[in-house]
Amino acid sequence: MEGVLAVCGEVGFRETSVRAILEHSGGHRAQFYQHFESKEDCFAQAYAVWIERLCVSVLEAAATTPGWEAGVREAIVRLFQFVTARPAIARALFVEVQIAGEPALARHEAAVERLAAAFDSARADIDPTEAPPEATGVFVVGGIESCVCEALGAGDPGRLWDTLPELMHFAAGSYFGKEEAEGAFERASILLERERARLTGAGEEVEER
Amino acid sequence: MTELRLIGGTALAEPAEAEAVPTLRLPPGRHGIPADLVRAHQRLRLLEAAASAVAEQGYGRITAARVTELAGVSSRTFYQHFEDLWACLLAAYETEASRLCREIEAACATLVEERGPIAEADRRGRARAGIAAALGFLAAEPDIARLLSAEPPPQIAALTGARRDLIERLGAMLRDVLTDPAGATPLPGLERRLIGAALALVSTRAGGGPQRLLDLEPELSELLLASL
Repeated sequence: MEGVLAVCGEVGFRETSVRAILEHSGGHRAQFYQHFESKEDCFAQAYAVWIERLCVSVLEAAATTPGWEAGVREAIVRLFQFVTARPAIARALFVEVQIAGEPALARHEAAVERLAAAFDSARADIDPTEAPPEATGVFVVGGIESCVCEALGAGDPGRLWDTLPELMHFAAGSYFGKEEAEGAFERASILLERERARLTGAGEEVEER
Repeated sequence: MTELRLIGGTALAEPAEAEAVPTLRLPPGRHGIPADLVRAHQRLRLLEAAASAVAEQGYGRITAARVTELAGVSSRTFYQHFEDLWACLLAAYETEASRLCREIEAACATLVEERGPIAEADRRGRARAGIAAALGFLAAEPDIARLLSAEPPPQIAALTGARRDLIERLGAMLRDVLTDPAGATPLPGLERRLIGAALALVSTRAGGGPQRLLDLEPELSELLLASL
């Protein structure tokens, strides 16, 4: 199952043939079609497994860190660790999924909604009269995802680390406004300066699950 | 006048006819219509068909054959206009991206006639007019909304470059409106995050029909202007 994502992430979904998937993963054509209806179906099933792992890992990072802002920061750090450790899989999950057909896209949207709901825990700290728009969660997830896509598209996932303060500004600002955004930016900048080695180090955590 | 009818809606008297024009096929064979006009008309039909094919098949499955079929031209005609499928999609993308930007600029320009210090309320109003114009344009043309908002295959550098250019252009407009002439400038790069997020939101909402896009205006304005 990992094979289809690795191949699609390397050469692109359009260019990936069933033959190429089998060359990577082993097995025969007939076996492939016993398990999957098509390349799209195979991609969608592999996508479901890996996006679930990634979501669980990222949500766990947030849940085990007290406070909304610090939780979001740890979640983004966990995401970046995954992307830099497994760029091919990440390209499949974030970039190729966009062109891999409806079944994979539907799973992508479900994951976005799930993460958006987690971001929405911020609402507990906001006066209902000043509640941010309903779409805020999806908006924030989309912004973070577009940042990851940009870095992967440029072939340089390592540069993601420098975007951490900017992303914290964006996420906190979307929920709490400008002042909170500037505070979140400052705190992320300081953390990055002090602990860059620790943050960028532990890369394989998602895979070991 | 007869010739102009073939390529543009503006020269037409009847609105109903104007809508029908882009997909109208020219009569085959000898018809006395100048060759360059025939070519221009074919090109327009191909660009329109490219957007429809992306909406129908997605970037993952789209083929040049489907584009020619939707445009009602021969494969030979297709390759007279474009080197390959991606050249055609790039031309369609750039054409529609420019139209979108012009719509936004026009909506903003009607609100602010002269340059000079602009009060925050005015800047906010200007931005909202631009956002409403963008959503109106995309809601009226769902195929173009899909074409412009969906991520193209990363291997097609020219197309991803065109998408990046659009994000830059929209970002520059947003930055312009977020910048307080009297004081602080917004964080560098923030506008790209905001535009990326807005495109992602449009992309997920575009499937729900035109009204869902139009209804997005107050929310999207609030989100894009949160740091104003």
